[in-house]
Amino acid sequence: MKLYAPHVGHLEALEELLTGSKDIYGIYMAGTPDYVGTGRTNLSSPGLEEIAEQTARVHEENVKMEVVLNSSCMGGQHLTPEGYNRVNWYFTQLHNIGVDAVTVAEPYFIEMLSKDYGMEVVVSVLSFVDSPQKAEFYEQLGADTIVIDPVINRDFEKLEAIRDAVSCDLKLLVNEGCLYQCPFRYAHFNFFSHANGPGPKLNVLDDYYYYKCLSLRISDPQQLIKSPWIRPEDLKEYKHITDIFKIGGRTHFPNWILNNVQAYANESYDGNLMDLLDCPRDIRDLFYIPNKELDGAINQWKQCSKVCNKCGYCKKLAEKIIKVYTAEGCENILKPLKSKGGQ
Amino acid sequence: MTIIDTLAKNRGELENKLRNMLAKPVFLIEMDAFALPCGCKGLTINSRGLQFDDLEIFEEHINEYLRITSENLEVEPSFLFARLVPGTAEVASLNSRVLCNRCYLDFARGTGKQPRPDIYILNFSRRE
Repeated sequence: MKLYAPHVGHLEALEELLTGSKDIYGIYMAGTPDYVGTGRTNLSSPGLEEIAEQTARVHEENVKMEVVLNSSCMGGQHLTPEGYNRVNWYFTQLHNIGVDAVTVAEPYFIEMLSKDYGMEVVVSVLSFVDSPQKAEFYEQLGADTIVIDPVINRDFEKLEAIRDAVSCDLKLLVNEGCLYQCPFRYAHFNFFSHANGPGPKLNVLDDYYYYKCLSLRISDPQQLIKSPWIRPEDLKEYKHITDIFKIGGRTHFPNWILNNVQAYANESYDGNLMDLLDCPRDIRDLFYIPNKELDGAINQWKQCSKVCNKCGYCKKLAEKIIKVYTAEGCENILKPLKSKGGQ
Repeated sequence: MTIIDTLAKNRGELENKLRNMLAKPVFLIEMDAFALPCGCKGLTINSRGLQFDDLEIFEEHINEYLRITSENLEVEPSFLFARLVPGTAEVASLNSRVLCNRCYLDFARGTGKQPRPDIYILNFSRRE
């Protein structure tokens, strides 16, 4: 198994990751937002010197370095002569540094990278590759690896069709806790891309999409189960698709990342599944999902028709196993989730 | 009891009251006591899962719960309000604020419950 781990971007955290686990095949981190930016939040914006230093350090441990530049919206800047020159210069510097792979979402960058720079070209989750046809398009553009849109993580027919359609590598993001068929997905990543990219910085009141994301789960906790995460125990079900897995979580402490690496490397986790999920970070102190009680659920999802209102499996499972942290004095206790209310 | 224990206790109690009333696991994600340079002081209680409909339907109860929480934390409940994500159903926070003179005048000028798109007033005690 090739396991890619997230990294917040500074050397101190990198040392903790490298000394904390020998199961990491590759590290990925954001680049400098002045050139491309990324579609997710970041804790750091490492300059080229920092990327060079950290690339050299991971290579000492025979670990790959991947720089993520997966802005889902460039606002057309890359199509201007100045924009192209800026991005071209940046890609060249990354190549000179010895970066192994670059992850991008913009199709133009995939074609650009595949022609001139000699680095592995990785198609980001934020290119939303969810069908054999789309995978073929990206492979034709020059992709060496495609990170599949997690929305089809439980759709084995499509995963297998993509595997058959292309010869490039496939990578699966295992712990994204985003809503299944999230209506905010494109808008939210575009917002992040502008907030974390080269353009003018936005003065935003609230992250509307994140509020809605949490509200929908609080009102309807079955959404936690329907999110297309892959449990550590279920990795074996995917090994005919790929052996490359990516752990999400670039804004987490090394301790959290190492806990995930250990869980996925061991293909087992005895605890709260919410500990492993990247996206709904705030509500891991609200919900408790006993991971071991999800044993066997994959068998249902493998044959799932994705018509939730007729099936009801995830809803029943949520009611059966999810518990809610409830304050009692200054302590937190666990209470069962009922279909109405958290008490 | 220390101030942080008092905050923790009151956060949990208010959360439980809201959950019991609204029949959903409303999450009070953070409760802070603050003091601003202008002179305003008070409490901010950031919420997730609380919606504007909840406020409108259960305003009397939420107002009362917030008043009790505020008094427990020795913050005079003279100005209680919810901060909304404008144009949406989401309530971002519940607040109790002892206004400075300048900010008081900003709010005292109006008469409605929504002086700004992001503020919904639950209680405003006018000064003599």
